Amino acid sequence: MKLATTMTVNRLTDVVWEIPKTEKPGMLVPARIYGTETILGAMDAGVFEQVTNVACLPGIQRYALCMPDGHWGYGFPIGGVAAFDVGNGIISPGGVGYDINCGMRLIRTDLTLADVKSRLDALMTELFRTVPAGVGSKGFVHLSRRAFQDVMRNGARWSVEQGYGWDSDLTHTEEEGCLGGADPEHVSEQACQRGIGQLGTLGSGNHYLEVQVVKNDRVYDRHVAEQFGIHGDDQIVIMVHCGSRGLGHQVGTDYVRIFEKAMKRYGITVKDQQLACAPYRSPEGQNYFAAMNCAANMAFANRQVIAHQIREAFRRVFRQSPEKLGMRQVYDVAHNIAKVERYEEKQFLVHRKGATRAFGPGSPDVPEPFRTIGQPVICGGSMETGSYLLVGTAQANAESFGSTMHGAGRTMSRAQAKRTIRGATLQQTMAERGILVKAVSMSGLAEEAGIAYKNIADVVESVDTAGITRKVAELLPIGNIKG
Amino acid sequence: MGKSYRFREEIVLGDLAFEVTGDSVSELCTAAALAVIEAMVDPLSVETNWTKEVRLSEANIEDLFFEWLNAIVYVKDTDGVVFHDVRVAVSRDSEKNLWHLDGTLIGDRVDVTRQALRTDVKAVTKHLYEVRQKEAGWYAHVVLDV
Repeated sequence: MKLATTMTVNRLTDVVWEIPKTEKPGMLVPARIYGTETILGAMDAGVFEQVTNVACLPGIQRYALCMPDGHWGYGFPIGGVAAFDVGNGIISPGGVGYDINCGMRLIRTDLTLADVKSRLDALMTELFRTVPAGVGSKGFVHLSRRAFQDVMRNGARWSVEQGYGWDSDLTHTEEEGCLGGADPEHVSEQACQRGIGQLGTLGSGNHYLEVQVVKNDRVYDRHVAEQFGIHGDDQIVIMVHCGSRGLGHQVGTDYVRIFEKAMKRYGITVKDQQLACAPYRSPEGQNYFAAMNCAANMAFANRQVIAHQIREAFRRVFRQSPEKLGMRQVYDVAHNIAKVERYEEKQFLVHRKGATRAFGPGSPDVPEPFRTIGQPVICGGSMETGSYLLVGTAQANAESFGSTMHGAGRTMSRAQAKRTIRGATLQQTMAERGILVKAVSMSGLAEEAGIAYKNIADVVESVDTAGITRKVAELLPIGNIKG
Repeated sequence: MGKSYRFREEIVLGDLAFEVTGDSVSELCTAAALAVIEAMVDPLSVETNWTKEVRLSEANIEDLFFEWLNAIVYVKDTDGVVFHDVRVAVSRDSEKNLWHLDGTLIGDRVDVTRQALRTDVKAVTKHLYEVRQKEAGWYAHVVLDV
């Protein structure tokens, strides 16, 4: 098999590959990549370089991981997972990403494709009008500085208390939509200024809001699907992908700068400046953790406000209450985050950058509705090919620090995608296939074409075969809003 | 060498990398700013109804260049604007051992009906970040998170 690296890559199973720690000076643990042979063969050179750089970071435990949707990022690869000893390990903004708590939310409905088809244009127009997207977009929620601090402390709970959502949304959100330890004192004035006007906005790039349909033949585990509120029969669901907007972006920027200086004091060297880090227990590390949690809470609040706006758009188009339409939240997951978690009686700081928590049945951190079946895992595919709902497993807890994939993963640069297809042409061909797209930017639309991504079915097959999540249902797009 | 920028599509697939050159630090900062602007919008679709002055001082060029690009990303979010052009003058105060940048951002409020918007730039990263003087001028390499 030809790979984009000269490093030795050993096959552990058909879907788990290991780079020994002898392959790069400074590696403290081996690196492991999940994926079928096809997926591994398609991995770009950056993945091998970056996952082995991560394996050199102080305090790393067992192995540095990359999920099958991995690709070249900055600092960590996208799809990167690493756990650090909370006593002598580090925390790194490069292991979280600038879009702190970028994540996915899924809402189910009682509507079917037949109910929606004739009103799809009106629905997408209303959603496009209601949920601001694109460069420089501002939200409808006007916040005082004090209220914004409440958002940072309380996350989705703040949104629900303001009337943007239902109590049951919180029990169906990772960490109930609020991470502890958030302290706005450690968030800069600049970060507040960037984020304060953006609550309820999607952003751009690969962020989106999608209306999807669940076909009967695409429900792979009917028992678990039913527990998640998914029954097939052309059921309509809505997926949202976005994060903490300018607040998180600026928190990341601020702390990379702080950590570059701190590393000299702590005698830490890294293979890539973007892996700038500090000991987790250091004042700098704790301050970043407090600020990161603020941004994570803003992201939970952001997706909560967007969920409210979605429900209101459905209310207007279908002239029925969201309650009557059965618009209950399936779950909300973070896929750019660092969290303290317990594994075999030890506490680790687990960084996930483009990777999703996937706790299995019985885990105390899985909310009550799902405790006996495992955590819902929401994976967004490209807007042309569809997305997946998976479920966490005990094997993920044992093997991959309770982590799995987050999406399809890019295989093509943005420029190449734009050269391959024009946004307007893509919009037209998707409409002909029954997928209605509303986009702020036509060039941005072309960048997100399905051809720019791996085949998500192969990616899902990799984690399903590896046993770190199981397939529950496939969700096929019929309408998409892009920034 | 001259003032120019070139996006590098063979690396960092989901994000945007570019390299930039200039005969002087002022030219380098101008060309890099134009690359960041171009990532966000077609500058020709943006009017010139809005301007903002940016003044920065740093002890070294690497930090000055980095903070300048960060300032553009920051102003985009806080002022809700996109840009048509920039003017940049960089000078050195050898007495205080500082580099100064006087920049002017020229553009307009975001308006999806009139502007050809592209992708939101989230941050200027330090991945493969490089600023250096070459024999014929200045060179920098930048990766943007988009």
